[in-house]
Amino acid sequence: MMLENDNALKAEGLTIGYGERTVIDNLSLDFPAGRMTAILGPNGCGKSTLLRALARLITPGKGKVTLGSDNIFSMDTRALARRLAILPQASKAPEGITVADLVRRGRTPWRGLFSAWSEADAAAVARALKEVGLTDMSERPIDQLSGGQRQRAWVALVLAQDTPCLLLDEPTTWLDLTHQIEVLSLIRERNRAQGVTVVTVLHDLNLAARFYDTLVLLGPNGMVAAGAPQDVLTEDNLMIGFGLSAMVVPDPITGTPMVVPR
Amino acid sequence: MNAKTMAGIRGSLILAAALLIAIVLSLMIGQIRLSAADLWTGLLTGKGPGALTLRVLRGPGVVTAIGAGAALGASGAIFQILLRNPLAAPDVMGFTSGAGLAIVCGVLAGTSLPMPLLSAAGGLAAACLVAILAIKRDGSQVPITLILVGLGIGFLTAAANSFVVTRLPPEQAAEAQRWLTGSLAARDWGHAGQVFGCGTVLAVILVIQVRALSLLELGDDLATGLGLKSNRARLQLAGTGVLLAATGVAVAGPVPFIALMAGPLGMRITGAKQPGGRILSAAVAGAIITVLADLAARSIVPGLQLPAGVMTGIFGAPYLLWLLSREMDAGDI
Repeated sequence: MMLENDNALKAEGLTIGYGERTVIDNLSLDFPAGRMTAILGPNGCGKSTLLRALARLITPGKGKVTLGSDNIFSMDTRALARRLAILPQASKAPEGITVADLVRRGRTPWRGLFSAWSEADAAAVARALKEVGLTDMSERPIDQLSGGQRQRAWVALVLAQDTPCLLLDEPTTWLDLTHQIEVLSLIRERNRAQGVTVVTVLHDLNLAARFYDTLVLLGPNGMVAAGAPQDVLTEDNLMIGFGLSAMVVPDPITGTPMVVPR
Repeated sequence: MNAKTMAGIRGSLILAAALLIAIVLSLMIGQIRLSAADLWTGLLTGKGPGALTLRVLRGPGVVTAIGAGAALGASGAIFQILLRNPLAAPDVMGFTSGAGLAIVCGVLAGTSLPMPLLSAAGGLAAACLVAILAIKRDGSQVPITLILVGLGIGFLTAAANSFVVTRLPPEQAAEAQRWLTGSLAARDWGHAGQVFGCGTVLAVILVIQVRALSLLELGDDLATGLGLKSNRARLQLAGTGVLLAATGVAVAGPVPFIALMAGPLGMRITGAKQPGGRILSAAVAGAIITVLADLAARSIVPGLQLPAGVMTGIFGAPYLLWLLSREMDAGDI
């Protein structure tokens, strides 16, 4: 039985740099279990770097990342892949493969080397396709889909991986507003239905405030604020983080903070 | 059964039939022309001109060509999938000419090491050289850089091969030159056994590795996220790919362009999209190309045995140029 807080991600004293340049300096952050956290900030502030470290795609110079009580850097690769999924930025599908071919590969961490395709695998793939609304298009080649459908197919891949912790790097980039909302809605549905911990790097501040429980704002000089949307998206914080002079008003529909640049 | 599966089955049957036809033609045509009936009688009774052809004259050469072509084709498909680029093939990237250079040098030095071992050493050395030279300042490697560096190493080893040939007495030089062009003349059952023995071992290893390949083609980050040790898996697959190419080179010489052409050709015919299917169709397509190239090489000019590599070169070089120009149009080079 997995305790709920086994799915909490925690960064402790992370320091990450490329060569001479330190991108993240001594950062400690909690990503609470079952919550949706968005990482925000200007280009080059280390958002993606932080997310990649949380997924063990890069090794920090100092500090550690824990998932529940385990240090992810000392976990078995496969064991980690059963608990934490990552969708990297702008993935490119191999030529000609179908939606189902792609989504099935999400089951890899659950399959033995020669074990047959199980009912659980089939059920997970079917559910993931249904959640993203691509059930009827599962036999279509990815390259024939529209941009929004294609991105949903990639999300389905990590949903089929069926992990209690889900990391996404800018899943809405290149999508029009309708499709951005579509993708974020289906991630939130998974979060609400199964208590999945979600961490997402996002660009759109207003959508982040609408869809996410917790926001983390990184600025050019490290973390600016972390907490509930109304506490993070303040005029002062936006000035520090983005150098942006803006007004923050309540979103007329949801009441969450809405950033209006001056 | 849906239309896609049907098309896949039809494509596979076409490919298999093409291989069979190539084999039969290759056994029938030569200095002495045989009928299909002669071959059939020879196969069943073990007597007559058909039996002699199968057992001694053409049989071993054709079987060796099948094995070498399949090994080269599979190797090409591995690199094409791994680097996600149709230009990525062991013959374009200098691995096969590296293997060839090692064999020529080994034979000249009078070593008693078996050919596949020399070939593997040469192929791996060339591959390591390419991999090291293609490392960018930030420690990463980009497919197109690997391919271009490989192209350079290929020219370098080709130049080294030419140099070695010029240092030889005329008779040996002709023989070495012929071998370096890629030739299947005068192959015996020893060669056939060797290529199928090594090939089978590598095929078994490849079956185990193929799932890793289907993750790596999604990109390293996603593959790692799905529980793969990406760097290790990529090295292992590249190793298998180089050894497969070296296996082909050890019996047929560095026949150019088979590895490059087999993958796209096989994929075109079978419609295979998944790595396993792509490698398998590339292996069969490679076998077809090699058998036909050998047949053309020994029958196109009566009384003259050309190296098979001349034939693959005639088709392969324009194809390579076309691919390069396409990559340039796409802005990748």
